[in-house]
Amino acid sequence: MRDEAAFVEFAQSARDRLRRTAYLMCGDWDQASDFVQEGLVRVYVRWPRLVRNGGELAYARKAVTSAFLDHARRRSSTERPQEADPPAASGEDVAAAVTTRAALMSALADLPPRQRACVVLRYFEDLSVADTAALLGCTEGTVKSQTSRALFSLRAVLDDSPSGDLSEGAVSW
Amino acid sequence: MVNELRDLMRDAVASPPHDHGDPAGLVAAGRRRVRVRRTVAVAATSLAAGAIALSSVAWLDPSAPDPAAAGVPHADGPTISLSGARPAVVGTDYRELATYTNEDLESDNGEYFDGVTDDGLVLLREGATVTRHRERFALLDPATGEKEWLPDRPGAGQQSWALELGEDRLVLMRLVNDDGMAVRPEVDVLDRTSSTWRSVRWPTLPAQDDFPTVRIGPDGRVWATVLTRPGRVPDGGWPVGPDGEADDADAEGSVGSLWSMSITDPGDVRDEGLQVGDFGFDGDRLVWTDSSNGAAGDVHVRDLSTGEETSFDPRLGARCNLLGLDVAGGRIAMTQYCGTYDGGVRDDRVQVVTTEGEQVVTVQASGVDGGDLVAGGDYLTLTAYDRATGGTYLYDFEDGRLLRLGEGISSWSVATGPTPGDQLLWTTPAGRKVATFGRSGATAHLGEIIR
Repeated sequence: MRDEAAFVEFAQSARDRLRRTAYLMCGDWDQASDFVQEGLVRVYVRWPRLVRNGGELAYARKAVTSAFLDHARRRSSTERPQEADPPAASGEDVAAAVTTRAALMSALADLPPRQRACVVLRYFEDLSVADTAALLGCTEGTVKSQTSRALFSLRAVLDDSPSGDLSEGAVSW
Repeated sequence: MVNELRDLMRDAVASPPHDHGDPAGLVAAGRRRVRVRRTVAVAATSLAAGAIALSSVAWLDPSAPDPAAAGVPHADGPTISLSGARPAVVGTDYRELATYTNEDLESDNGEYFDGVTDDGLVLLREGATVTRHRERFALLDPATGEKEWLPDRPGAGQQSWALELGEDRLVLMRLVNDDGMAVRPEVDVLDRTSSTWRSVRWPTLPAQDDFPTVRIGPDGRVWATVLTRPGRVPDGGWPVGPDGEADDADAEGSVGSLWSMSITDPGDVRDEGLQVGDFGFDGDRLVWTDSSNGAAGDVHVRDLSTGEETSFDPRLGARCNLLGLDVAGGRIAMTQYCGTYDGGVRDDRVQVVTTEGEQVVTVQASGVDGGDLVAGGDYLTLTAYDRATGGTYLYDFEDGRLLRLGEGISSWSVATGPTPGDQLLWTTPAGRKVATFGRSGATAHLGEIIR
């Protein structure tokens, strides 16, 4: 029988992290919750095989990313949120921080969905190029080129952000 | 730069708003998906995992599975397998009226055949892409290639399904979220004379979190199911089958109430007073089952003009779940999943009976799905997902010939929707090999049967 208690435990432990990843991809917390919900439903369907073979979180991450990419593909490859959710900022320079975050989310939203996914998986989830390629079902070369293009676009936008200078540094793999 | 980017991203998600996620709702959705995916596993919006799962079962063994050796019971009544099919010959068995190939749907959106109007024009949909930011529709004349572009649809960007493609109007349905996860169907109606769209929504129709069956009735109204009693899921979920997947064969069926709505008056919403599983129309006759997505119960046929009603037991197999129903020309096609056996061999069936309850034929094979009646019910189309037999098939009820329209199954569904006369739509894989979806693209075909 399907071990639903184990699935629920996993879903509760992974949900928050997956939602943050999804938010960075889509720029909307509610939509991120939907993608996570969809991703976890996919995990549920595969659960007996996953728990036998391991890799639940990796599969969940892939499922959430697929849900985001499916949605982007169906609706519009260039769809972007109307406006990023207002971040709950705190700290000394609230205005600058909020503006920088808004600039980041706007810049991410301007990227094509697969480039966005590459950036988030590489630099938020800290996945290797190989792992990102496996997750996205593409070659490592594609991940490199997509990420490189994304970073080029992000650099152009974020260099103008009020947070000051983002160091130029070469892209390392 | 990447370190700053890391910090910025972490900062951006440091204080997320409250998540309303509900574990119970998640499990319930998962349980439903275990059933639902059996009917939609390889549609365009299918999951990568689903596509992989389907292909991996037989990937190492390209020969067709042997149902008898796996212990699959033989269906009652006249039964055929796919082994007797021969390749369809263009020019002899069918005419190819139009094709369109999307080479790379993995990278970007493409073009789709969403059905054919009664006057023979293809409803062509251009999805929004990197360089083309708006979705748009055209009516394509397959004879000349000329396109008549339509004005922007009100629900542009939302996934839609063609319900009716008439000479006077086009009716497209979409599902719109209520306040929460629940949805209601809405329709966009194009008046082809004035070339203007209008949308119709029915606020008093109960919303639901299930995908409804929606059809246009002979009275021109939109008929839809609203789930009232989902089939019970065993405590602890479904047992795991021989293939490691959840096996929900022999499930209790789900029941919904049947509603009809005016396509002109949003306030005209009527509970038809029937509890149904699946339903369809054959001319003036309404055909429905007691339940669906599980046991089917009896089939009922009501003449809407006289009120006369008959019922019969369609004699599905003991473990069969009804997954889909189509009605035309006095025939009823019922797509079923009946269990998984040794080696992951599935007992899938498309059973055809007459509206009087006579058994016509059952196509039984591992991985057959999507039985649809075309050409006024004179032919049956179905799809096979096994690696050895994968493709779209056409069965002629008159002479019993079974034709294979194309080899291979596309993970992308680029040609679906209503078709007039003897026309039919199907999809074949195209493009380069890709890991997730098999092939990167797909070809939409519009053909016409040569009788």
